[in-house]
Amino acid sequence: MIFFILLLQAVCILLAAPAVVGLVRQGKARFQNRRGASVFLPYWQLLSLCRKEMTITRHSSWVFRIVPYVVLGSAVVLALVVPTLAYGVVPASISNIFFVAAVAAVGTVFLVFGGMDTASTFGNMGSGREMTLSALIEPALFLTFVSLAIGAHHFSLDGIALWMALTPWYVGAPFVLVSVAALVLVSLAENARYPVDNPATHLELTMVHEAMLLEYSGPYLAMLEYAAAIKLSVFLGLIATVLVPIGMVHAPFTLLNILTGVALVALKLAIGALVIATIESLIVKMRFYRMQEYMAAAFMVAFIACIVAIVSVNNIL
Amino acid sequence: MQTGAVTMERPELDPDIFVVGENLRTTIAKLYGGRALRIRHIDAGSTNGEEYELTALGNAYYDIERFGLSFVASPRHADILTVSGPVTRNMEHALKTAYEMTPNPKMVIALGDGACTGGIWKDSYAVVGAVENVVPVDYAIPGDPPAPVDILKGLLNAITQAKKVKK
Amino acid sequence: MLFAISFVVPLVGALVALMLPSDARGNAVFQCLMIAGSLSGIFAVGLWCVASLSGVPVQLFIASSLFGETFQVGFLSTFFLGIIYVGALLASVYAIPYLAHYERLYTIRWLNVASALFIFGMQATVVSATLFVFLLFWEVMSIAAYFLVIADRKSESLSAGFLYFVMTHIGILCIGTGFFILSGGDPLASFSVVATRALALDPLAAGIAFVLILVGFGSKAGLVPLHQWLPYAHPQAPSHSSALLSGVMLKVALFGFLQALFLFPYIPLWAAVLVVVVGLLSAVFGVVHAAVESDIKRLLAWSSIENMGLIFSAIGAISALQHFNLFDATPALVGLVVFVVLHTLNHFIFKTGLFLSAGAIQFGAHTRDLDYLGGLAQKWPTFSVFALALIFAASALPPLGTFFAEWSFLQSLALLVAAAPPVVALSALIVLSVVALVAGLAVFTFVKVFAVAFLGRARTKETEDAQPLPRLLVLPIGVCAALSVLMAFVAAPLASLIANTETRGLFSSLNVLPDASLNATSMWFVIVCVACIVLFLRSIGTDTRPARITDTWDCGQPLTPRMQYTATGFAAPIRFFFRALVMAEKNMIRVPVVESNSWITKNTLTWGTASLWEVWAYQPLGRGVLVASRMIARVERWSIHFYILCVFIALIVGILIAL
Repeated sequence: MIFFILLLQAVCILLAAPAVVGLVRQGKARFQNRRGASVFLPYWQLLSLCRKEMTITRHSSWVFRIVPYVVLGSAVVLALVVPTLAYGVVPASISNIFFVAAVAAVGTVFLVFGGMDTASTFGNMGSGREMTLSALIEPALFLTFVSLAIGAHHFSLDGIALWMALTPWYVGAPFVLVSVAALVLVSLAENARYPVDNPATHLELTMVHEAMLLEYSGPYLAMLEYAAAIKLSVFLGLIATVLVPIGMVHAPFTLLNILTGVALVALKLAIGALVIATIESLIVKMRFYRMQEYMAAAFMVAFIACIVAIVSVNNIL
Repeated sequence: MQTGAVTMERPELDPDIFVVGENLRTTIAKLYGGRALRIRHIDAGSTNGEEYELTALGNAYYDIERFGLSFVASPRHADILTVSGPVTRNMEHALKTAYEMTPNPKMVIALGDGACTGGIWKDSYAVVGAVENVVPVDYAIPGDPPAPVDILKGLLNAITQAKKVKK
Repeated sequence: MLFAISFVVPLVGALVALMLPSDARGNAVFQCLMIAGSLSGIFAVGLWCVASLSGVPVQLFIASSLFGETFQVGFLSTFFLGIIYVGALLASVYAIPYLAHYERLYTIRWLNVASALFIFGMQATVVSATLFVFLLFWEVMSIAAYFLVIADRKSESLSAGFLYFVMTHIGILCIGTGFFILSGGDPLASFSVVATRALALDPLAAGIAFVLILVGFGSKAGLVPLHQWLPYAHPQAPSHSSALLSGVMLKVALFGFLQALFLFPYIPLWAAVLVVVVGLLSAVFGVVHAAVESDIKRLLAWSSIENMGLIFSAIGAISALQHFNLFDATPALVGLVVFVVLHTLNHFIFKTGLFLSAGAIQFGAHTRDLDYLGGLAQKWPTFSVFALALIFAASALPPLGTFFAEWSFLQSLALLVAAAPPVVALSALIVLSVVALVAGLAVFTFVKVFAVAFLGRARTKETEDAQPLPRLLVLPIGVCAALSVLMAFVAAPLASLIANTETRGLFSSLNVLPDASLNATSMWFVIVCVACIVLFLRSIGTDTRPARITDTWDCGQPLTPRMQYTATGFAAPIRFFFRALVMAEKNMIRVPVVESNSWITKNTLTWGTASLWEVWAYQPLGRGVLVASRMIARVERWSIHFYILCVFIALIVGILIAL
């Protein structure tokens, strides 16, 4: 049963991911006074890409060809182990905070390899930038997770979700709020959203994430776009889990419990997507060479979250 | 927060856009089994008139995104290449490589008089002339430049035509 | 007995190498001898482990007539002996084709004599039981390493060798003095005697001895601020020797430091914190410099500084924790020990492998500058797979062994943050932040190496024309890659073994740390499952025609290999963000070409990085010494009357003091 729930969690995220991207685009279109594309357009885009031929540059090696598999694989692992639908189902050691961070890093690293293996300056530039951002966001990501772990007395995301769900909201409130602020900053950077990257740009010089995908086509492109969508949904789901752990699926699994859980996940993801759309409509992209300020800010917020968590755990005040 | 046009009332939509667009959407759906069409635009030496009109397609008035069309950043991502301008000698190689890189099934649409015939630059030493001199063209949309609605209609006709050829 | 064989082989090897012809064939004979020696050594270490685990008294295996009171073999030294033998084995196999290729560059006879003595010195250091013997063989090792560094007799090697020579002697001076203080002035005392004598030492003397020993071994291990020689010296040696220098000799320095730590009755808190701070500083400086470096071997040397820094900071943290009576933190303590042990092994494996890879790249593409490489993955697919595995190990990414060690380190620190009293928690939090930053930048560094050297197109003609590598050259690299994969599976049993010995059976389960089994099997299970899911997703309804091969999309302007990002370009943002640390400078010099028109200029862009320590510590120190010596030189030119006056004054002062 636990295995089934685990699978259900992954399937939920895998199915919802394109819609989340579609919803973000739709939300942004509404802010621009447009009607925008259908929320379900990304599904069709992925399907039509899957049916297309692939063209690959002659300067690429075997690495270029395994990149989509590894990147999608890392995203699927995230979808499996990060508690978005249920808690108490993932073995603690594989939803360990450091393991999750490292799995995300593996995906990024291979994406960077893909950009570098094209012999194209655009791809190279995207790779260099992405790797820099990923290296600098690492401390903030670790500290954000650690702050949650300290407060929740668990070092696995699963355990953290469990604690969040079982503890009255006001107990964790102080550090959870700061942690979530840090988590939002980290998620924006990890998923190449504003103000770190512009996901909708067509201008190669301002790209980070997109630039690495320029040489991919057909099914490989579909896999990479799908992976990005999954990663975004997972991070949104994680934020929702920490902030509002209501209605998550848990131990005595009843049909009602599972159904409401799935519905609530869909609702949470939808709200998350609209929040992202709002954020992206309100702020602008930062200059790349000011990124260290953003990263330093994210790190400071995470650090403060840790200190607040230490204080609340030790009952110093 | 105030949304919407601050300076003027939003004009009434041209019903033509909607009819053509809806038609386009259903056609794409039938053709690709999906509802997405990705366009890569190549400026092969145009006056930028066509580019203004294409940009207009993305604004709040025409908003082609709602019909499932989108512009992409690389020919490798594209289903359709739109080419504007009499192909200049400098852009000849670029056009050829972009065509080669676009995965099949693909379609090339010549956009504007320059691309269709070479326009007023026809026999100049600096241009190769119409796009079909360089890559096979599936459909031509004349006009200098064609209006956004004409572009939409042209896209629809191109796709319908391709559907017939496929059958 | 086997120990004795493997022990003597390098000495015999040195003699044999003297007699052998200085060419490829002579080299092959010598390396085979060394391989046999290392194999017997590995076998001996294996036997020792089996014997000690099954409770057989291990003295049986030691020829007491030879060793006597001079040498000892304990758990610690066996561990490091194993590292030395495996390293020597890999280096020797590698050296057969490698040195045959560089027959003209190196005088093979003397190079081989030096490597034999180097290996001999290292293993003798590790098993020595008295201070004098330890220092003697330490010196043998250091001097032999000097000859390895200057093997190609180029001017930069000579200056690097000189710097190394000076540093290592400052180091041995400090170590010797430290030991001298500890032993109460008896240089011949054995370590066990010293440990008992150190009990009676007053805190001040012990403190001074500790700092001296830290400086001494730290200078060998490349800790800030005595690290400056390392990135100059290690890359200059032939690659198989660089691998030994960085992969193995640094571990011997670590062994020395641990050995010395056990002599102290207790480590004062300030001393432990000092070790942590020095370790973290080294890690940060090492990794930032590695991130902006383009010379592969120098980059690897900087990364060695980083890794040794991390290991030392963990050791410091362990010693610091002894001062707090933390029951909750016991798992954290165990986790730190696990990190030290595992990371020592892992760093040895991946650093040896990467230095050998750097040598292979130099062998095939005739450069070790990343800015001239590229496209090697297409040229050498097998080699690039091995290199990728090593790169993953070096970046501490799952599912390879290094990740588990780093996981254990981070998790222990996080545990301390969570469960320790506020002061300790806050310190642990700061350490954790620094380690996280270092981890991120390490990933950046090694991704840069792989991406620039192996992916894309060759940037120069030499790289373009690279020939296939000889099998024997790739074999040791493959072994390293396999070992680093294997370490993932060894991690969990080893951790539980350490946990059990450390806490005397307090932890019996595999889970050393809460919520983190270092068990790779479950992780590989997840990987296999997910691979199935991904392949399934890929197979349903997608286009499976073979991809059409085209050129890279060039926007119409034909791309040249020079247009690709170089390592320098790749690291530009890091150089910019950390410009204060690496002292990055960029200068644009505009020279007008035509006098009358100031707009037509010839622009020269220069940029560079410098070592903060070199500019702010070494150079002022050097200048100070020069100024002082000039002042003293002035004295030398004075007349005889003045000297007589000086003698007279000295006499009077002496008498006054005596009275």
